[in-house]
Amino acid sequence: MPPRWKSTDQHDLVERPSRKRPLPADPYEVPDEDDAIPSAKRQRRQPEDGGTPSKRNATPRKQVDFLQRDLASVPEEPESPTEQTPSKKRIGRPPKARTGGTPSGKPSTPSALRKKQVDETPIKLKGISGVDTPGRRGIADRSARRKSARALIDRVLEGAVSDDEDEEQQIAREIYESSEEEEEGDTHQENLADQQAELAATTPSKTGRGRGRGGRPPGSARRKKSPTPPRDLPPHEQYFYQNKPGSNKTSNNTLSSLDLLTHEEYFSLLRNLGQDPHEKHIEALQSQHAASFPQWAFELSQGFSVCLYGYGSKRRILHQFAEYLFSSSGGSNDTNNNTTIIMINGHTRTLTFREILTTISAAIDPTFRLPSGNPLAMIQNLFTLLSSSFSQKPARITLLLSSLDSPFSPLRKPQTQSLLAHLSSHPAISLACTVDTPNFPLLWDSSLRSSFNFAFHDCTTFADHSKELDVVDEVHELLGRMGKRAGGKEGVAFVLRSLPENARKLFGLIVGEVLVAFEDGGGGGGGGGSSGAGEFAAGGEGPGVEYRMLYNKAVEEFICSSEMAFRTLLKEFHDHQIITSHKDSIGTEYLSLPFRKEELESILEELMS
Amino acid sequence: MAETHDENPVLSEEDDHRVFYIFNPRAGLHTSLPQEKTARPVKKRRVTSKRAWSVSAADHAGVAPHAEEETETTTAVAATAAFSQLFGGKESVEAAGLRRQVFDTAWPVLDGRIKNVLREANRTTLEDVSSFIRDAEGDATRGTRIPAGFIITGPNIASQDLLFEQLSEALGKATQARFVRLRAAGAPNLKAALKKVIRDATAQVSLDGGDGDEDTEVALGRDGRKYLDYDLEGLHAFLGVQQDSSRRVVVAFEDSEAFESSLLTDLLGLFHSWQGRIQFSVLFGIATSVELFQARLLKSTARQLFGAKFDVVQADLVLDNVFKSAIAGTQATLRLGPTLLRSLLDRQRDQVAGIRVFISSIKYAYMCHFYANPLSVLLADEKSLTRQLLQPEHIQAVRTLVSFKAHVEAAVDARQLNHAQLLVEDDGYLVRQMVEQRQKKQDYLMQLLRSLHLLTSMDLVPGRFTDLYVAALAGGLDLTPTIDGIKRLGADDVPALINRLLTAIRTGSPDLDLPGWEDEAEELISSLCEIRDEIEALAEQAQEKGQQALKSKFTAQSKVLRTTVIAQKVQLSQDTAKLTDEDKAFGKAIDALVDLLTHHIYSDPVDSLFLHEAWAYDAEAPYRDVFVPRPGTTFERALTRPHAYLGCECCSKANGTLSATLPTTCILYRLYLETGSLVNVADLWSAYYALVGEDSVDGGLGEREALVQFYHGLAELRLMGFVKSSKKKADHVAKVKWLL
Repeated sequence: MPPRWKSTDQHDLVERPSRKRPLPADPYEVPDEDDAIPSAKRQRRQPEDGGTPSKRNATPRKQVDFLQRDLASVPEEPESPTEQTPSKKRIGRPPKARTGGTPSGKPSTPSALRKKQVDETPIKLKGISGVDTPGRRGIADRSARRKSARALIDRVLEGAVSDDEDEEQQIAREIYESSEEEEEGDTHQENLADQQAELAATTPSKTGRGRGRGGRPPGSARRKKSPTPPRDLPPHEQYFYQNKPGSNKTSNNTLSSLDLLTHEEYFSLLRNLGQDPHEKHIEALQSQHAASFPQWAFELSQGFSVCLYGYGSKRRILHQFAEYLFSSSGGSNDTNNNTTIIMINGHTRTLTFREILTTISAAIDPTFRLPSGNPLAMIQNLFTLLSSSFSQKPARITLLLSSLDSPFSPLRKPQTQSLLAHLSSHPAISLACTVDTPNFPLLWDSSLRSSFNFAFHDCTTFADHSKELDVVDEVHELLGRMGKRAGGKEGVAFVLRSLPENARKLFGLIVGEVLVAFEDGGGGGGGGGSSGAGEFAAGGEGPGVEYRMLYNKAVEEFICSSEMAFRTLLKEFHDHQIITSHKDSIGTEYLSLPFRKEELESILEELMS
Repeated sequence: MAETHDENPVLSEEDDHRVFYIFNPRAGLHTSLPQEKTARPVKKRRVTSKRAWSVSAADHAGVAPHAEEETETTTAVAATAAFSQLFGGKESVEAAGLRRQVFDTAWPVLDGRIKNVLREANRTTLEDVSSFIRDAEGDATRGTRIPAGFIITGPNIASQDLLFEQLSEALGKATQARFVRLRAAGAPNLKAALKKVIRDATAQVSLDGGDGDEDTEVALGRDGRKYLDYDLEGLHAFLGVQQDSSRRVVVAFEDSEAFESSLLTDLLGLFHSWQGRIQFSVLFGIATSVELFQARLLKSTARQLFGAKFDVVQADLVLDNVFKSAIAGTQATLRLGPTLLRSLLDRQRDQVAGIRVFISSIKYAYMCHFYANPLSVLLADEKSLTRQLLQPEHIQAVRTLVSFKAHVEAAVDARQLNHAQLLVEDDGYLVRQMVEQRQKKQDYLMQLLRSLHLLTSMDLVPGRFTDLYVAALAGGLDLTPTIDGIKRLGADDVPALINRLLTAIRTGSPDLDLPGWEDEAEELISSLCEIRDEIEALAEQAQEKGQQALKSKFTAQSKVLRTTVIAQKVQLSQDTAKLTDEDKAFGKAIDALVDLLTHHIYSDPVDSLFLHEAWAYDAEAPYRDVFVPRPGTTFERALTRPHAYLGCECCSKANGTLSATLPTTCILYRLYLETGSLVNVADLWSAYYALVGEDSVDGGLGEREALVQFYHGLAELRLMGFVKSSKKKADHVAKVKWLL
């Protein structure tokens, strides 16, 4: 706690007991110096309020509201130091000069609160492992609450709030109200009657106006959430809780201190990691699923489509199922075998529906060339082919489609789904697919679902998805660490080939400089560029080279003669996203390349050759 | 890649990066098409040369077997494949094969009936629409407007498919029109819609190479002129060649609400302007109401239409009919039990699942029963069910049945000790009893269906047949719900009721496939006739005496409530109105009728019968699991309590808490549950590492190793759609799932 705060709070602490005495039942204790205003108001309003004066300030927000009204309408209030220019401060935009009462309060609020917020995550994590010290937390909360009350009042008195302060205000309010919640628990019983009475007594117009600024009816005040998430909320409540504006405060920690994995490191570590302790159990689970192969095969033969869902990669299961189908279809020699099994890896991003159709048609009759065109027309042609081939040789196609709902796969598109449903509704084509996301039923409406005719099976395997996923790229993409580059090293070569000689030379120059910077900085972690080092390292990219320096070198090497030309060349690189540029805090521009050192080296080699 | 735990050598890494291949392990390698794509998922660049499938290469690799002499049909192959053997593999192949055979004969019968019902259901609609389209031509009031049929299909889009299929058949027959079905998904814009219309109308296999945007010319006319394939002129020329007297094209918009109004406007405008040359008619499948649909059209467009509205038989009614023929009908080999039926019907009502889902569910119940119940072999006909086929396991299985136990206990209670003892001890006796049960089952079903038929034909019971049937199976059936109704009938109504009953007995019910049973019910018929005659005679007598109508002691009018005011107090008293002799006789006759019907209309609950397990299927769980999956729960369970699946000891200790032994994704998922809508990956990582890292109690992973696991878990979370990248803050990801 910053000591500055202590001094402002000091007289609160002293005065508090005396304030509390007259209003013992009121949990919505308002910090003191401002109490003067409400109480004055209370006195003023007493007759018309029907004898429940203390309840006027049932919620802090409300209190704040009528505080404003008071300031506007009752300027003759004597004592408060905060009401110097009261009438102008209503709802008040733009910010007026700071009021005398809170000279130090405002600036310190953000830092103090942010500090507290940063501390919060560890607390949460402790909570998970069951360590929680409610006593200490309670104390901390209480003082935090006082501070936040201060902050709230300050805000009101100041009138305007700039945007970035808004969040702090939010937190302040939350802290304040959360402690209310706790206190309220004790006094809840007696309060209830009072509140009801108060509710009845409040004139509707008043509450209406009060609510205008985001306040809620007094009765609902206790539902206000605390900054630490309440446990055991139903999922939908949790959604609204977590998505309300300003609630998603997270720490500012980044992964900058952590050296992210490269593909090479990932795979070498993975190899050394040894066996998963659950290997045996996963195997057992697999074999359990394998026991239902005959059942699935039966379902397929009866015109159902089989859909396997559940956590874990189902690739192996599907593969084993294919083997089972293959062996059970009786084809010990190929002539007997009229069942064609087509495996489709749905997780590949380049899959197109047309290719599936072409494969099927090739499987039915290799001599037939399916005319490409509109997929729907292709399906019709395929069906014609199927029915014509029925006469000579019954064809039965089994499609085994993995990861039907993969977010990367084009199969997920609604049009493709309806085409697929159409395809699978043909009696000679059966479909078994696996899905990986829990919300896959949303892919199909009732019409699609009935033409798919799905039989769903829980097929939780716990097997890892390492085959379907490029883990490192996935994570880096998720973290936004993978600059969208033109297909890696090869892409660069491709881009450069289409560029003029000058541009190639310039790129070679940049690569060389960046590599030098790599050497200077001792690898990726340290970073090369003087002041931008930390930044670049955080970006997961190589070190940067200074723009000005690079320009000078380019001029020296006769790559370009003017900055204009230099810019033009760089723009080409920018367009292909093979370089990135940053400005550091003093405005120096740095250029860097979104590649790893090894890649840069090979690019340079290629350029030189 | 770490391929160590993969004991299957065939499953090579190569497979994962091929987009698709034809599975054929015997070829050593998978027989794959030559231009298989080995695109790694990372690369997003399009592989350009992927279209030219070389046929000869595929041939060479033996992709498609050449078997000209092989004329076996697929179904025949399927039929030979028996079910897997039950009793832990001890069931004989013959028994398993017989089960399959019974299934293969039982289902198609039912399937045919269901299809028939469905076809019948839409018949009136089909006829109406056909005649409308046919007559619209001659209708002078129409002018140049396009005949438009608005078919109110209701919200159940799943059943529309069938309707439009039938429509296309019926209209093709009735009007020689060319029928084109448009779905919003298949016709995203005007060009695509026109292409589809022309293609379907000309019924020509489109040979346009390349993508849908390429415009090719097709020769349609006689003179070999080529037209763009979205040019209606081409269609006109084509129809001109065909020499059809009527150049009609019927375009059906199946899900008209899903079409964009501007597209509809354009299409209709075009059709209208071609109306003189090509006779377009349009049909709209409408889920909401014609008014709403019209509101979406421009007034000028609406003015171009000449419409009529058609209602489709509501799904409820179709469902009832399917139910009667497939579930309740005598043709049904298998009886579905009340619990299952109840949930099936509820699902139809609550989720508008569509009739096809319902049929699938019935089929699945059949499949389950014959696949998994060894006693289902008892449903085979007598010729194929020989004594040799019944293994000791079958006998054993029968003796463990609940109904067997109940049966024996009942025998003991009835002092038939000998019978009970033989059942338990003598296999031969038991088998004879089992054979007898077949007849008893038939009798039971007949009784049940006849009773139901009589009850429904009385027209006195409220509620639907389905509910009545389910209730009868669950709790038995008697006359109780109708007794009051019968007693309240007047003298004129009773003979009518009796006549209805007599007709019911004589004709049976074609819906239920129940033949009349006049021969077997002579006694009932004669008694009914007697009562009817008696009542009619009484009515005549009464009329002669000048009495207005016969009253019985049961009718409401016979009781009179008297209000007497005595000394300013109101006295209420009930008085039985004076009944004449005829009235009394009438009452007696009604009593006799009720007695008679009570005697004949009854049924026991299905599970009261010995051996009902062999022919009644009432398991709800497989149905629910297979048709109404709950993936959220499944994922939740797998991720929060992995030991429920893995059965490992290490994780079951950590029930509900975090533990380092949990699979990585499970740990991350738990941490994920604690986060807000933005997740700081750095914090997630430190929390994770604190748990499994070197400093933790039971962890001990090095930082890099832990990071590998962490990466893995995070990637899986992304794959399952729990997180997505966020640009709000550095190293943050957004939470996307709250409700599993």
